[in-house]
Amino acid sequence: MSVLATDRRCRRDVLRLLGRTAVGLGVLATVPAMAADDPGQLIQTVANEVIELVKTKTGAEREAGLQKVLEAYFDMPFMGRSALATHWEKTSPDERRRYLHAEINAEAHAYSDRFGQYGGQTLDVGKVITRAGGVYVVQSRLNQKEGEPVKIDWEVRNTGEGLRITDVKIEGVSMVMTRRSDFNSYINEHGGQVEALIRELESRSSR
Amino acid sequence: MLVTGMFQAKTCSRLRFSLAAALVAAALGGCATQDTGAAEPWDPIEGANRMVFSINRAVDIIAIRPIAVLYRDWMPKPAQRGLHNLLSNLGEPVTAINEVVQGEPGRAATTMGRFLVNSTIGIAGLFDVASTMGMKKTKEDMGKTIGYYAGVEPENGGFYIVLPIIGPSNARDGVGLAVDASMDPFNIVTFAISNQVGWISAGARYGAELLDTRTRTMYALDDLEKNSVDYYAALKSAYTQQRADLIRQKRERTDSRGELNRRDNVALVR
Repeated sequence: MSVLATDRRCRRDVLRLLGRTAVGLGVLATVPAMAADDPGQLIQTVANEVIELVKTKTGAEREAGLQKVLEAYFDMPFMGRSALATHWEKTSPDERRRYLHAEINAEAHAYSDRFGQYGGQTLDVGKVITRAGGVYVVQSRLNQKEGEPVKIDWEVRNTGEGLRITDVKIEGVSMVMTRRSDFNSYINEHGGQVEALIRELESRSSR
Repeated sequence: MLVTGMFQAKTCSRLRFSLAAALVAAALGGCATQDTGAAEPWDPIEGANRMVFSINRAVDIIAIRPIAVLYRDWMPKPAQRGLHNLLSNLGEPVTAINEVVQGEPGRAATTMGRFLVNSTIGIAGLFDVASTMGMKKTKEDMGKTIGYYAGVEPENGGFYIVLPIIGPSNARDGVGLAVDASMDPFNIVTFAISNQVGWISAGARYGAELLDTRTRTMYALDDLEKNSVDYYAALKSAYTQQRADLIRQKRERTDSRGELNRRDNVALVR
């Protein structure tokens, strides 16, 4: 129940934020309409927005923009819960809220850093594979000016509120699975306390 | 490098192959009951692994990474590409052998064709002329071959092991590495001349390979280290997933086109 509530609250915030951004930036004006029922289109939209952000914004502005992209198109609560695995059950609603908040911040920070300067990358969206349970895998290729293209697979799910990205696999390495190993190992090394992980993530995003 | 080097001797490599196969079978069989599945890599010697991991990291921070940074920033790009091509060319025979074992003689023939073209017209492999002639590059190793035939989830490569200098591996890929090195024609030939020649050439080659690989993986590894709370666990997971992905592609035989340099291609956006 509490998960759903957080979820809904999160979405409402996102919509409000998006509304504000749409006015402020102009670039995102068409965003809510493009939430789309086509998984391939969803990925293309995300790619276009991220490339636009990387091209035009830097530092804190870019980070804020990426955070909005994460909140609007990714099912962060779902991904966060998957990453915590069995530890999720023993966390309090307050811990869950703080954890998700810190996780989104950390991801936005990481992606903002990761892209560096725009180097002419483009994303080619390829096949969409349908899996059981309303799961799609959208295959894509990130073309770089130098070197081989990078294979990126996007896991898209129908969440009931439209399609949301629930995982990104770069060259076969899943973001959620890697976080899951990472987080669980950290939690286990800290006496099974999720609180330790949350504090670490919070301190990282404020750095 | 040391580990693979030790497998160099002038005896028949087939004997060692069957021994290795038995070892793999034991390693894989031993963990089949564990059901490691896709959830977490099986890591029964985590304590030892973490120790080797931290030694590796220290060596990396002091020596390997700084050299790789200098190499990346100061060596002209054409020279970097040339070295990479040269090393890839030296690896073609092993790829071809693996393709034969995987039951793909056609691809093995292409690989040997590449080797012949690049070794001659491509000046000892410095230039990848074969690719421009439409001969596609592939990269195979014994770890993938074993994974291809092993009737288990490709995430299950036996126990996880951190090798000195080389880094993340598992029972499957570690044995594969040793088998690949022992059946490598260049090692067989150079060690046949004399042990000294063998060790010197193998040292130079694997040293260069270490530099090339470290340079290519720098971006991805820096990123993973910075954005993880437990780097050891994150790298273990990423390594296992990536190898599993390569093997799964092999099994599904869907996308042979882009298979080429995927192992090196963790460079992400640069």
